[in-house]
Amino acid sequence: MSTWNLRYAPASLAAVFALGLPAFAPDFMLFEFSIAVSYGIAILGLNLLLGVTGQICLAQGALFGVGAYTTAILNVSFGWDPVATLPFAAIVAGLIGVVVGLPALRLQGLQLAIITFGVASAFPQLLLKMDTLTGGVTGLATDQPMAPKWFPGSQEVWLYGLSLICAAISIVVVTRLLRGDTGRMLRALRDNPVIAEALGVNLTKGRLAAFAVSSALAGLGGGLFCILNGFISPQSFLPMKSIDILIGGIVGGITSIAGAFIGAVFVVFVPGFTTDIDPALGGLIYGLCLIAMMMVARQGIAGLRIEGLQKAVLGIFRIKGLSRIPGSVPGQLGGE
Amino acid sequence: MTMLQVRGLSAGYGAADVLHGVDFSVEQGTIVALLGSNGAGKTTTLRALSGLIPARGTIEFCGSDLNRRNAAQRVVLGLAHIPQGRGTFGDFTVEENLAAGAYTIGDKRQVAADIERWYAAFPRLAERRRQQAGSLSGGEQQMLALARALMSRPKLLMCDEPSLGLAPAITEEIFEIFKSLNREHGMTLLIVEQNADLTLQFADTAHVLESGSFTASGAARDLLGSEAVQQSYLGV
Repeated sequence: MSTWNLRYAPASLAAVFALGLPAFAPDFMLFEFSIAVSYGIAILGLNLLLGVTGQICLAQGALFGVGAYTTAILNVSFGWDPVATLPFAAIVAGLIGVVVGLPALRLQGLQLAIITFGVASAFPQLLLKMDTLTGGVTGLATDQPMAPKWFPGSQEVWLYGLSLICAAISIVVVTRLLRGDTGRMLRALRDNPVIAEALGVNLTKGRLAAFAVSSALAGLGGGLFCILNGFISPQSFLPMKSIDILIGGIVGGITSIAGAFIGAVFVVFVPGFTTDIDPALGGLIYGLCLIAMMMVARQGIAGLRIEGLQKAVLGIFRIKGLSRIPGSVPGQLGGE
Repeated sequence: MTMLQVRGLSAGYGAADVLHGVDFSVEQGTIVALLGSNGAGKTTTLRALSGLIPARGTIEFCGSDLNRRNAAQRVVLGLAHIPQGRGTFGDFTVEENLAAGAYTIGDKRQVAADIERWYAAFPRLAERRRQQAGSLSGGEQQMLALARALMSRPKLLMCDEPSLGLAPAITEEIFEIFKSLNREHGMTLLIVEQNADLTLQFADTAHVLESGSFTASGAARDLLGSEAVQQSYLGV
């Protein structure tokens, strides 16, 4: 098989799967996949930020929440059509993301991780305090965009289509960014910020722009999540959500676009699967799954090549083969 | 014509100054060397000039005051800095590294033409254009770093210890390239080096830096083999 085929294998497989899904999946499963797509958009943002520019953000779940609340408030308090609120969910989260990213101008790696996680921890409390706007503990229930009469499928298929359109827009934005000068600039910032600066890259602008785009994607995903779920409350955006998004990014493949959505499907479905296996031991099995994932696929699922997959499966049975993959892992936590 | 005029330049890291008010100038079309042993403040000087660290004093470059400009704006003005240890992007191909060097150039055709121009000057890079820069030898990486810096069409090229980690024969080759850039393209160069004997053979003027101040300055041929230079290395 040519290298081209291998390089695009995860992306093509994911696309074919996503488009073919409504043909055979039952409605309730389609709903879960739509939720996974909304997370996938937020993970895509994190992949851009962490995988491509090397900056960690553990507030992605909070920014996801900012998008969700923007959609809900515009719909509930101002009567906007839910779909029309999505661009604003992205913009508001993008602006807040720039503020969250300001410390990144001075701090990187672990310090930045803690600062952004601080934002994620404060976020649910802030929602409770601003209860006139956010509805406090009771949360907000939003209208759902109804499928038009001419649409042959069910309401779930309609919403799934909306999710795919949002995902497609996000993918186009990210691919365009990664191409050419901008993409090179972003990778240069990750690989060697000092050299990038010596070549004329404006460090401040580059880092904040990456935060803005990443957060805007989180906001779009959050807005979509709000529409799909029809109801949000501070419970939906606990600090753990940011960790789930990070796990999705790393398990899917932190430098990969397809990996973002593969990782989202993983974090949405696998905890449920493991609970199905044994309700009492679900968390344990999920934990073991995560450990196994990192031993077999350090670059994430999307990073597995076809022949790599073969080797990885064999590797499970050969202890010596485990965790001896040479070379640096892109996007790993660390300073400059 | 004076291209770069530096007066009372002080800089350092945190609270401590490494450089204590040096004055020097670089004339257009010349090769100027900054010599000195480890920790003398050579790298700090270059970083201060290119805006990678904050500095005090005045830096005038082609008639503009650099103090009020950040690193990116200084590149646009024509100041290129090849940092110590080359700093090529290992995951980028040779060609991507060159393109990254033209970050400040908007004209795509000019970038493409410049890439071909430097491939012609450095055939070894042309042969490896699709290879990852990390797989190049030390000498090739230094060449790549040099060509990458030239992509921004600089007026003044500053190079920090080009000889670091290179075999003597390769170092000499790099200096020959500097010489030909200077002679054939009229490039002005500011070179920081520990290898005083070799550098003085190629430079026009030189300054010897010791603990953040100049201990000797003058024409390179006068400093070659002079006591001041030997002292600065042996007298530490």
